[in-house]
Amino acid sequence: MSAAGKIKVQVSESHRYGDLLVHDRIEFDVMENEFVCVVGQSGCGKTTLLDILSGMLKPSEGHVFIDGHPADPKKQNISFVFQEPSNLPWLTVWDNIATGLKIKKYPHAQVTRVVEDIIDVVGLRGFEKYYPHQISGGMKQRVAIARAFATDADVILMDEPFVSLDQHTRESMQQEILDIWKRRKRTVIFVTHNLEEAVFLGDRVIILTAKPAHVKEEMAIDLPRPRNLLSPEFNALRIRCSESLNATRAAKSAEPA
Amino acid sequence: MNTNVNPPLPSLTNNKPSRLWSEKLRPVAYNILSLAGALVAWHLLAILVASPFFPGPAKILDAFIRLANAGDTMGNSLWAHSWGSLHRVLVGFGIAVLLGVPLGLLMGLHKPLYVSTRSIVEPFRFIPPIAWIPLAIIFFSGLPRFAFLIFLGAFFPVYTATHVGVARVEPIHRKVFLVHGASKFQVLTRVVVPTVLPDIFGGMRVGMGAAWLTIVAAELTGGTSIGLGRMMVDYSELLKIPEVIVGMLLVGAIGFVLNESLLLVEKRLFRWRWQVTL
Repeated sequence: MSAAGKIKVQVSESHRYGDLLVHDRIEFDVMENEFVCVVGQSGCGKTTLLDILSGMLKPSEGHVFIDGHPADPKKQNISFVFQEPSNLPWLTVWDNIATGLKIKKYPHAQVTRVVEDIIDVVGLRGFEKYYPHQISGGMKQRVAIARAFATDADVILMDEPFVSLDQHTRESMQQEILDIWKRRKRTVIFVTHNLEEAVFLGDRVIILTAKPAHVKEEMAIDLPRPRNLLSPEFNALRIRCSESLNATRAAKSAEPA
Repeated sequence: MNTNVNPPLPSLTNNKPSRLWSEKLRPVAYNILSLAGALVAWHLLAILVASPFFPGPAKILDAFIRLANAGDTMGNSLWAHSWGSLHRVLVGFGIAVLLGVPLGLLMGLHKPLYVSTRSIVEPFRFIPPIAWIPLAIIFFSGLPRFAFLIFLGAFFPVYTATHVGVARVEPIHRKVFLVHGASKFQVLTRVVVPTVLPDIFGGMRVGMGAAWLTIVAAELTGGTSIGLGRMMVDYSELLKIPEVIVGMLLVGAIGFVLNESLLLVEKRLFRWRWQVTL
């Protein structure tokens, strides 16, 4: 595990929409340069969690601290890889990757250097001048990932970024994102409902209960990378996660109404 | 394992030799052919009718050459008339764009403002510019009168297209900017404006058409000795039909050129959009 150092993100929040309690004291920490996966039943408020983590949504109670300060997109470098296509259609691949750097007003020379560098890392060399509608779904998501890794992000949030890709592309993208993360160390919080994906990617998997969500269990994934999806150790961990997740559902339905 | 699982992409510059012919030259050739056909038909019809009230294309060409060389009865050249009209249109149209775009953005971005003022703004749309001519004659003269009327004709197409276009801004694009800490101004200039720009250009083409219609109508009502509309009225009073038709054809030709120039700018500006149809 890479997370021997300092705590990067501290989460302790509850959130309600009107009378509906969505998050019931979700509490967890993320270490610097750690790759954490958050899993939960669909409808447990994962997207709300990401909005709160990014500082775009204020939680009803509690806080999200990044380096000890409340999360705020204007003060910290927060990157977000969205589930749906998020590239600006009127910008080329190159300019899309540069978007975050340009918003943060990095000097021109630095923008050029960083973008040129990351284009090689994500394997988009040769496609710099293409527009988003001219490239495949997998490449579009690679552009979004490159944009996220281009800034000196304090934290990179990912909202099921591979869910709309076909199985084959998704598997190669999962490997690629680990390669990128290995080369450009960042703190990543990756939200998914796919347990296999979570166990494959994460240093740690955080399991949320159904609504109102709180942390059911945190599971360290101590398998060396690259991980073998077919190994008995991998499967054992996946089954443990699965049982833990299913228990949250069983517990909910057992509660008196 | 950095395998590229994506299919090979079509090259940006498709160099098939037949493309130039099929996409550019063929339409031009066919248009020249059909235009020539129409002229021949007109010519034959004029011979058949054989009336001074139905001049053929040869008479029109004569009148055009006369007007171009010697000018009209008062010595004003054809170019003075054309430029006179065009100049008024450009001024009025320019003001319409300068006011219509910001106001459209403002109304589109602040829905409460639009909802609470729409009873003022919307009915104005249905007052045709021509209905403003009597008031314009009272209040203005010269260039301001024409610019005002043209402004009224061009403003609403530009304003409405801009306003409606703002709804096309994708929340996800806004979110990309906000999560990187963008200011409101950055969102406006780098997300909202690029999204709405194609709509603005569409509105500008409609507005330009409306402006051009308005100028001719405005000049017909008098108050000037220059302008294609004025020239047509003068010659109709002299029953000189070929000269009137020269004016009409020039109005059509200039409007066509204006529209095509805007289209050309659009094609360059919105490459990212036009290429969808590649």
